[in-house]
Amino acid sequence: MSRRVAIIGTSAIPIGRHQTNDSSHIQTLENEIMTRLVSEAVLDAGIDKKDIQSLIFTLPRPYTRQKYLHTFLIGQLRLSCRGSVMEVMGNGMTAALAFDKACDEILLGRANVALALGINMESAVSASEHMMSSMRTTGDVDFHTSAGFTPIAWYAMDAMRYMYEYGATREQLGCVAVKNRFHASLNPLAQYRKTITLDDVVRQRPIVEPLGLFDVPPRGDGAACLVLASEDVARGLGRPYAVVRGRGFYHDGTHQISDIPNDMIAFEAAREAAFTAYKDAGVIAANIDLAELYAPCTIVEILVSEAIGFFSRGTGALAALNGETRLGGRIPISTSGGLTSRGHPAYVTSLYNYIELADQLRGRAGERQVKNARLGLATGELGNYNAALIHILEAMR
Amino acid sequence: MSHAPYLGTILPRISREGKRAYPPRLSQFTEHFWNGLSQGYWQTSCCHRCELLTFPPKPICPHCWSTEVYWKALSPRGKLYSWTRIHAAPAVFADEAPYAVGVVDLDCGIRLACRLLDQPDENLSIDMIMEIVVLQFEDGPLFAAQIMTKP
Repeated sequence: MSRRVAIIGTSAIPIGRHQTNDSSHIQTLENEIMTRLVSEAVLDAGIDKKDIQSLIFTLPRPYTRQKYLHTFLIGQLRLSCRGSVMEVMGNGMTAALAFDKACDEILLGRANVALALGINMESAVSASEHMMSSMRTTGDVDFHTSAGFTPIAWYAMDAMRYMYEYGATREQLGCVAVKNRFHASLNPLAQYRKTITLDDVVRQRPIVEPLGLFDVPPRGDGAACLVLASEDVARGLGRPYAVVRGRGFYHDGTHQISDIPNDMIAFEAAREAAFTAYKDAGVIAANIDLAELYAPCTIVEILVSEAIGFFSRGTGALAALNGETRLGGRIPISTSGGLTSRGHPAYVTSLYNYIELADQLRGRAGERQVKNARLGLATGELGNYNAALIHILEAMR
Repeated sequence: MSHAPYLGTILPRISREGKRAYPPRLSQFTEHFWNGLSQGYWQTSCCHRCELLTFPPKPICPHCWSTEVYWKALSPRGKLYSWTRIHAAPAVFADEAPYAVGVVDLDCGIRLACRLLDQPDENLSIDMIMEIVVLQFEDGPLFAAQIMTKP
């Protein structure tokens, strides 16, 4: 296929607490946030309403009162379309899939301009109640949930294993949180922007051992909209854009855990999807200038950085400690602040990751700009990286 | 699906007060596993065609998709591959927190994830030899692993 997809416009709300309690006199309405974001993103892109022929939404959380929010919003926007209008769901991969399916609409020729967008509101629901739902999303609801597993418990077991196999320390993991908080301090969309020290990280209360509060993602609300277009459209606008140069997907055929013992922390799906994406883009890992990884916990960022070939096995933690993944380092990771500090409104998290790459590749990331950023990589995943979806974006200026 | 005679060892059973916090559902197929577990039987499905075990038990072999599967005893012993202690728990498990869970590689080549029992005099660590036990609650059983105490 000769068509290529470009990101030409973005908009998002700062991640944080937006959801209102049912008892509040004035309520925050998801549709009001979304219609504003669509108009802002379209303005940023410099296209017309009538150019949009497909909209791929992320599924809202069950707490969103308006059902079928996607088609409700089409009505709010009076937007007639000939491509597709749909909500997608893929657990943690939801937003990466929304982006991917919006790309497909353009690649298939169903649309010249498509939106990938969504909203995730959950902060008014307590963590212990929210976990009643999220505990059923990972593993087997009868054989694992009955034992009390939670989503991040699996990542914690990755951390234990990594520390055991490679002698990595609590501090080495924690330095990822410190680095990400520093990046977040420079990002107006980030949820937590006050810098922290390594001592702050290791002194936090344990959540899932060995991970403490700052090693795991905060809960928050977010909403974002990306405008995608065929490269022909993008070129005609005469502004910088980011083009999708490569794509890779892999599901390892297991859900959370393989009953045939494997190397659980090799993240085979990330490795395979990255291999496909590099090949598709005609580049190698060393060519990548920055990466926005779907890494809910500090350990996950380290393991993915190894799986996708930035560092050899067992050296990712030390590389992070040595500042190689910090702004100004060899390969800056999570310049947005990552899931631990930029924030993690799970069903839209990857939209924020693409926005960060688009900002960097369009040269408008301000104080956190990676100099001469040309190639950026984003990952999406589900389970314990049982599946990965990877995109490589390139700056076109 | 044949209910072949059980040839494994009987698991140690530990009585627990109250009901399971989030009990598993039974199907016509998995009922045999859970009923057997409450009697100390430790078993899973095995494929007649490819002879591979799978856990949790499934009515169709995930490897070759054969529907010809039978019950086979599992090894009650294995090694701890990894573990964690959950401090922030879902509402129904809040009373039990903090509690340990882990991944155990059984001697028969099956990996599983389950609750781990804390023992007062020994700390959990990777590669420890573990044994599977039955936690017998008032409403039914769960399986868990504990540090192997005797040779």
